[in-house]
Amino acid sequence: MPIVTIDDRQVEVDAGTNLIEAALGVGVQIPHYCYHPRLTVVGQCRMCLVKVEGMPKLQAGCSTQVVKDGMVVRTDTPDVKEAQRAMMEFLLVNHPLDCPICDQAGECALQDYSFKHGMATSRARFEDKRVYSGRERIPLGPSVVLNMNRCIQCTRCVRFTAEVAGTGELGFLQRGARAEIGTFPGRELDNDLSTCVVDICPVGALTSTRFRFAERVWNLDKKPSLCTGCDNGCNVTLEHRRGDIKRYKPRYNPDVNDYWMCDYGRSTFERYAELPRMLVPRQIKEGQRVPVSWDEAVDSFHHRLRGRTEGATMFLGSGFLTTEEAYLLAKIADHLGTPHRAVWVGESKPFHIPNTHGGITARDAAPNRRGAELAGMAPREGGLDAARLLANGAGDAGVLVVADSDFGPGAHDPETVARLRRARVLVVLGWADTPLAQAADLTLPVATHAEKEGTFVNGQQRLQRFRRAFPSTGEALPLVEVLATVLKKLDPSWQPATAGEVFDHMAASVPAFHGLTWKHVPPTGVPMPEARAAVVG
Amino acid sequence: MATTSPIKIGVVGEAVLLRNVGKPEALTVDGYRQRGGYKALEKALAMDPAAITETVKASGLRGRGGAGFPTGMKWSFVPKDPGKQKYLVVNADESEPGTFKDRVLMEHDPHQLIEGSAMCCRAVGASVCYIYIRGEYVEAGDILERAIADAYAKGVLGKDVLGSGFQLDMVVHRGAGAYICGEETGLLESLEGKRGQPRVKPPFPAVVGAFGMPTVINNVETLCCVPHILERGPEWFKAIGTDERNTGPKLYAVSGHVEKPGTYEVPIGITFHELLDLCGGVWKGRALKAFIPGGASAPVLLEKDRHIKLDFDTLAKAGTMLGSAAVMVMDETASMLQVAKRSAKFFNHESCGQCTPCREGTNWLEVLLTHASHGEATVQEVDLVPIVAKQIGGNSLCALGDAAAMGVGPILEKFRDEIVAEMKEAAARGPVHGPAAHGVAGRPTLPVLHGV
Repeated sequence: MPIVTIDDRQVEVDAGTNLIEAALGVGVQIPHYCYHPRLTVVGQCRMCLVKVEGMPKLQAGCSTQVVKDGMVVRTDTPDVKEAQRAMMEFLLVNHPLDCPICDQAGECALQDYSFKHGMATSRARFEDKRVYSGRERIPLGPSVVLNMNRCIQCTRCVRFTAEVAGTGELGFLQRGARAEIGTFPGRELDNDLSTCVVDICPVGALTSTRFRFAERVWNLDKKPSLCTGCDNGCNVTLEHRRGDIKRYKPRYNPDVNDYWMCDYGRSTFERYAELPRMLVPRQIKEGQRVPVSWDEAVDSFHHRLRGRTEGATMFLGSGFLTTEEAYLLAKIADHLGTPHRAVWVGESKPFHIPNTHGGITARDAAPNRRGAELAGMAPREGGLDAARLLANGAGDAGVLVVADSDFGPGAHDPETVARLRRARVLVVLGWADTPLAQAADLTLPVATHAEKEGTFVNGQQRLQRFRRAFPSTGEALPLVEVLATVLKKLDPSWQPATAGEVFDHMAASVPAFHGLTWKHVPPTGVPMPEARAAVVG
Repeated sequence: MATTSPIKIGVVGEAVLLRNVGKPEALTVDGYRQRGGYKALEKALAMDPAAITETVKASGLRGRGGAGFPTGMKWSFVPKDPGKQKYLVVNADESEPGTFKDRVLMEHDPHQLIEGSAMCCRAVGASVCYIYIRGEYVEAGDILERAIADAYAKGVLGKDVLGSGFQLDMVVHRGAGAYICGEETGLLESLEGKRGQPRVKPPFPAVVGAFGMPTVINNVETLCCVPHILERGPEWFKAIGTDERNTGPKLYAVSGHVEKPGTYEVPIGITFHELLDLCGGVWKGRALKAFIPGGASAPVLLEKDRHIKLDFDTLAKAGTMLGSAAVMVMDETASMLQVAKRSAKFFNHESCGQCTPCREGTNWLEVLLTHASHGEATVQEVDLVPIVAKQIGGNSLCALGDAAAMGVGPILEKFRDEIVAEMKEAAARGPVHGPAAHGVAGRPTLPVLHGV
């Protein structure tokens, strides 16, 4: 592999690596706008000009490749700095500088590079600025709004729709200083991935309908998380202000969602605000549903499980359970000796997220059916599966435990709720106060996935861990904590209490998870041992 | 089939490239043959293809389109892989302001171009030749199409060129009127049916060109030189001109303040002074102020430079360029501010908008010079013009940015005081009202073409 010298530091790179990528290897950031690792190199913004020894002119870092040993590059010479300053000046000659009302402010490449490479004053007249009249707020489609005045014509969005989404709705229209971005006549930007153009827009020209004016970005707390919309398991950055989630942004994971995620996934957090929240444990006492303390609620849960209610004890989980939660539920079911345990998941629209291995396509409308089943929530011999349980099986149940209260459309459907209600005792755990929760004898409020930590196993058999973004609302507790407490009451020898401890216990006892440890699940996940074996085999 | 071309023609010495001007019979294959044509092609078809390239190399022929790249060397960059489709693309998009030499060649002697192109195709192994001609050259395009049809009918083109077994197809492709499509990769994009904007180089067209295949792109005049080189030998060609690196007969398109503007064929390296004499001198008996030696993108020269040799290397040494050899002459009354402004307006209008320095810089140049011509600019703003030009130059994706920088910047550098004085005079006349007073705001834009 050729060795290139960048700012006196040497790095060995694959032949064909461009200078922007090579420079990252020695910790040098070459500023750029139009370059994106997944898009065709067009060399348009000219921000990445660097000095390559032996070349008379400055070269664009994006389009200059390291092909053989001995290339010497400088990114900090006076002429490079002058070129960067000049490009910043050009980009701002016609930029409206409306940062105070621009959503991008705070995460804007124009602001950042202006600060780092630009000049503090303008030599152009403000009244000379180009204005795209009537093009200040053009809805390109349902998810994206264009403000042409802010655009720097990098064409990342155009290339994204043509090359990644494959839909090609956007074009580069007109020419010269009048060049603009737009949809082709009669078309709108409407595809499953359309909001990705907002992510890759380096400036505030493209904004998200969903996030527009929702929050100044510097007020957002950002935590690595996972999308729960389907079993693709897109890695996201969950961005919230004091527990109010404002947006998901895709978090780079080359093996899963690469730099992308779908528009539907970006909308999924809205469910947390749409549905009423369960804030305290509730129990039916003398025909009335009344709030109770957690101690009382857990005792009650324990007694009902231990009690001699006629009929079988059944557990209905969902694809929203974390692997650890599913493991604990299965442990409880094991302890009670019941084969009736099932995971209900809906079918997802086949959302396709391209990545460097071809991409992933959704099947389940929940993130963790596989993890839950592997952890022990698949029906045992003689047990009812989810479909039969939902159809009429609950009538045979003594105690039916449903986790969670928003497991699927059934939790909102009066007929399904009535069928589940046929169980003599109905215990519902969840974060949403759904019709199903309203019908329960005992409801336990638990954390949303943003309020807890855990792991999901996605459709590629990849185990991914997510972290807690903020504390629970009301008295809600992480489900792991609730189940571990109940299990300890059933089995005093039970020790694990946190998600991590539960996971490691599971990894030691469930073959599918052998060899994994909570601490060593990398931020971008790891293939399940069997999936790895299958790949190796 | 007489042509109606209004362009005046002049020749010093033997007419080589322009030998068929005024001979309408040369528009047909038979007439062209009678006048000695297609002999060189027959000779070339009997040669080893590599020997054709070597002969062209030995002649010292350099591209006549603007960059002056050695033609034989360009051909030798094409991979020799015989299994691969290769193309010749003739750049007939002649749109550098002031240039009208290729038009003369195509209108008067289309078969000379066909012959030269066929020889190039033979040399590099191309079986398809596209002639990309600017859309405004309606008549030249028609003449070429008729000549090509005749050439097919007479066996000069097609499956079996002149009975040699060599296959060659030739297609005229008309552009839609964009300067940027004269830039070779912008041309290729346009040829492929895409938006005409330059590509990132490398890869160069010789390796990845039209439709992803190795492609030679040559100017019309360049290819027209080839038959004569093959027929009369590289030594003959080399004997014409200034030195080893500046060889052959050359067409100069002279326009502006001269008595007899027109296309002149002279040995390359004639001095400007001699060329001006051929054109009858500066018109109306006035004095020379300045001249541009190579089209609007070549830096301006002054009266004191009038004895400069108009060849590639001498002009490069003087900080300008031969370019397309479009010589524009300005007399003592010319307003250099207006020259600069008009030039900036052209480059701004023709910028594709792809890269930052060209898109924003050319526009800014025009805005500044518009203010200046209205007397509304500050002296600092006038002085900003060459600075902006320097910020564009060398930093743009293709040569259009460089062209704008070289075409506008030096005018301001060399005529700074005159321009400032002119601006102050304009200021004294009072403010200008109207749409142009605020830069680009009132300028009409190109209509968006709605697809059918």
